[in-house]
Amino acid sequence: MPIHDVGYRRLKNENNSSLFRWLAICRIGVQLALKSKWVKRLMLSAWLPVTYWAAGFFLVEKAIIADQLSAMGEGSSFDQFSMLALTESMTNRFWIFPGVNDLQEVFQTGDIPEIRNTAWRWMLMTFFRYPQAIIILFLVGFIAPSLISQDIRSRALLLYFSRPISRFEYIWGKLCVPSIFIILVTTLPALCLYIIALLMSPDISTLPQTWDIPVRIIIATFGLVLPTSAVALMLSSLTQETRFANFSWFAIWGLGHGAWLTIALATSLQMGRPLFDPAVMQSDIVTNWSAISLYNSLGSLQSYIFGFSTFAESWRGIISLFGITAFSMTILYRRVSSPV
Amino acid sequence: MTSLISLKQITKSFQSMRALDGIDLEVRAGITGLLGANGAGKSTLIKLLLGLVQPTSGTASFLGFDVRKQGRQIRSRIGYMPEDDCYISGLSGVNAVQFSGCLSGIPKTEALRRAHEILDFCDMKQERYRMVDTYSTGMRQKIKFASAIVHDPEFLILDEPTSGLDPEERETLLKRINLLASQMGKSVLISTHILPDVQAICDDVVILAQGKVRLCEPLVNLNRTTAPSFCVRALENIDQLAMALEKDNVEVIKNPDGTLTVASQSSELPEIIWNAAFQSGVSIQSLIPARNSLEEVFLSTVTDSPSTEENT
Repeated sequence: MPIHDVGYRRLKNENNSSLFRWLAICRIGVQLALKSKWVKRLMLSAWLPVTYWAAGFFLVEKAIIADQLSAMGEGSSFDQFSMLALTESMTNRFWIFPGVNDLQEVFQTGDIPEIRNTAWRWMLMTFFRYPQAIIILFLVGFIAPSLISQDIRSRALLLYFSRPISRFEYIWGKLCVPSIFIILVTTLPALCLYIIALLMSPDISTLPQTWDIPVRIIIATFGLVLPTSAVALMLSSLTQETRFANFSWFAIWGLGHGAWLTIALATSLQMGRPLFDPAVMQSDIVTNWSAISLYNSLGSLQSYIFGFSTFAESWRGIISLFGITAFSMTILYRRVSSPV
Repeated sequence: MTSLISLKQITKSFQSMRALDGIDLEVRAGITGLLGANGAGKSTLIKLLLGLVQPTSGTASFLGFDVRKQGRQIRSRIGYMPEDDCYISGLSGVNAVQFSGCLSGIPKTEALRRAHEILDFCDMKQERYRMVDTYSTGMRQKIKFASAIVHDPEFLILDEPTSGLDPEERETLLKRINLLASQMGKSVLISTHILPDVQAICDDVVILAQGKVRLCEPLVNLNRTTAPSFCVRALENIDQLAMALEKDNVEVIKNPDGTLTVASQSSELPEIIWNAAFQSGVSIQSLIPARNSLEEVFLSTVTDSPSTEENT
């Protein structure tokens, strides 16, 4: 028995604004997701690539300083870090990555502000597109499938909707759960990288040269968060078995990208060139079908946001993501709005 | 007295099936029992009151708000305890009640304080720190009840609140409901199949059958018999007493528990019974006014409904 039982008392306190009730849904979702050891491990491992990319920013800044010193006629111990050496190294190592040619062209101009801006953008784009995209695939795959399916399974929807909570607030609260995790493993490390790069740069004049980069990071986050969260929650709302939603999530990514790779492989065999040869990747059939892969579509959007492709080159991916998001949100709303 | 729930010609159809068929209902403050067989439309009526389903036709107001347009205002003023075994997996009991409070707009810390207070009121001890997933049915009922009252609602809708509870817990829960109504001024709508629960605490009774309101009366009126009647218990030889009473032209019914229900239009019925006992040499143990049992009222109301007659 409690030491002091006051019985039932009237509640005197003022209630929260109804505008923020979705926060309770979001908070409890994050709290439950963080109970999983795998989610914690993924969150930690998501920050490991930051060290590699920070080294990249260091090398770019060293190359810029080395070139500036040699332009002034001063010998430098950083000769091995010269822009030319860096360009060659990047072209050889990362020829498969989009935008390498743009980088090469800009490096040859000798325009330091432009070089810095382009190099930083390119590195952040690759950060978003390669390590973080893979981590997001697994992180969202662990978190989102249970968010609505568990509520359907344990009939908790009735608990939510018998409260002053609208369907929209419920969906918004749930959408925020994977979004927060995505932001924690993409936006936050990307902004940290930007700050690290600023600290490595010679003076504060780099800030006006690169002001657009944080804006691009935030826009890229939206581009990443909305389709992935919407698709994952839509899958979660279609079943009360979390494992089916898990399986569907990985199947959508795997099958879409696998189908596109098969098309690319067939094209490369037909052309007699390696699979990731630019001629193969830029062939009509491979670019026309790239939107069937969610990974490629997100990549196209990231390239467009970071300024390494034009809308004419990326529209398939952008339209595909827009369509997927709209479709997923419609299904999600219909599923949540069905009679409880 | 003003009605808290006012329904006028409410119909709710699901494709070809009519769950509610032109319901007119006024529910006043106090504890109201909502009775009905399975499929009578009780759950649909509750969901309609919560604003979770829209009526096909008719007008409905609940606590002065339009059910069609002001569901949110209604839901912020009521507490609902669902019949289904619903819970949020992975939360402890106290967190589940706290979360319910947060959903109703109570700030997080205040909701935790309130959750502990309500769980004390519900006599939930250290088990409040265990995961809800591991709870027995009775404990989940307590958590659902606590979640329904955590935000201090004006009106409570309790769907089968005592199902799955042992007799002691059932009695305690009924006392709590009674306390909330009598001391805190809350109105309660209890949907249940357990008629003794209604008999124990309800002021009014609503009986639904085939999507229609068959009866809406104060419980006192339902218990009142049409003709004066008494329940007689004798120490021995109850059959002799029955024979003596039948000679006096009164209606006598032998009950399975060994008592007699004696009815007559005569205003001198007690004297008739005492005389019959004296003449037959039977000692009367108790003589109390008989009342209609709620079970009889319910069965007669449900079986009298036109659709049931058509089916039979």
